[in-house]
Amino acid sequence: MRLTPTAIQALAGEYVLGTLRGRARSRFEEHMRSDRAVAAEVARWEAAITPLAESVAPVEPPKRVWSGIEERLRPRAARPASGGFWRSFGMVAGGLASVLLAFFVYISSGPRGEPLFVAVLADTAPRMVVSMHQPDLLRVRVVKPWGGMDKQSLELWAMPAKGGAPRSLGLVTNAMGDTMIKIAGNDPRVQDVNALAVSMEPMGGSPTGQPTGAVVCQGMIAPVKRA
Amino acid sequence: MTLDATQARLAGLLAKAALGDRVAFAELYRATSSKLFAVSLRIVRERPLAEEALQDSFVNIWNHASDYAQAKSAPTTWMTAIVRNRSLDIVRRTREEPDVDDALSVNLVDESAAPPREAEARAEAHSIQHCLGELDAEQRQTIALAFFHGLTHSELAEHLRRPLGTVKTHIRRGLLKLKDCLMRTGDVERG
Repeated sequence: MRLTPTAIQALAGEYVLGTLRGRARSRFEEHMRSDRAVAAEVARWEAAITPLAESVAPVEPPKRVWSGIEERLRPRAARPASGGFWRSFGMVAGGLASVLLAFFVYISSGPRGEPLFVAVLADTAPRMVVSMHQPDLLRVRVVKPWGGMDKQSLELWAMPAKGGAPRSLGLVTNAMGDTMIKIAGNDPRVQDVNALAVSMEPMGGSPTGQPTGAVVCQGMIAPVKRA
Repeated sequence: MTLDATQARLAGLLAKAALGDRVAFAELYRATSSKLFAVSLRIVRERPLAEEALQDSFVNIWNHASDYAQAKSAPTTWMTAIVRNRSLDIVRRTREEPDVDDALSVNLVDESAAPPREAEARAEAHSIQHCLGELDAEQRQTIALAFFHGLTHSELAEHLRRPLGTVKTHIRRGLLKLKDCLMRTGDVERG
């Protein structure tokens, strides 16, 4: 059952304020998950009301809170394809057919020989297919470019399997088609990596050598054959 | 949405955390935890519960850092919403016998009427404070109590010594006025 616009407005305000409680709160959260209009109204109220919290005088939490958090953090890259970071992978599982199709077209029109590894990078839909070819070619095929990113660059990162800092592989052109990056199969940046991600950076790439902007798509690496 | 320098730095840290960078995540914690702890403490009122809320929230922030890119809000807004939600969940679980007056140690009217304390307080904080100032005193007090201290309708009625229906009306009308005011100042899109 969908909520009326009036109900959405009233309930979203009380949800963010905190006075919507108990089962009404849980029910409303279900509406938030299933109805974009509800989620958008909650986001508007959050943006409006939540900055009030800025006026609260800070209180330093005890050190044990951070230790407790650290213990509970799972290493990001070593995680299997479920949970937070890789959840978008699950979200695209439904679009698997199109991924396979893109991959098939891709392989059949690719450079000669099997790639060393491939990865399909996605947000809510597949965005690009990346493959590493011998002797020294990384090919990034964008299948769904982003709109409204004229003043930004897309930067491709390799994620070490054991965690740690992402390694920049270079910039990717935000347009349908291929970006070729010259990189050797034995380059240290692509050793022991299990995922690739793309972040949105200032024109020309990250000024710091580490991602500074939002992650716009990501995907696990599937090894095809040994180098 | 444009972000000021502080918010842009926090957004950068969140992006790195999304990619598994623990050093960046630790920096994000140092930059935001004392504010967020204070927000939680007012709602849950006991330090051990606020510690639990903060810990759960930061684990959540780590696990969902990649979702922030889609959130379209300032990093502090996104993180504060996570902490407030978790704190409200914890309150719901633990606070069976409301003992509102004993626990409230802060002068709420002063708090809701005060301008932001930090010189660098953001424009959004300024407009919500301004718009809160446009409400009548009872509406303002009711809404501030609910926001800062996580009081339910019946706790508000008890604390303010007003009938439940009156409290609900203050909230409903106060929220509508707030939204009108925020739309005038351009802080909330029409939706």
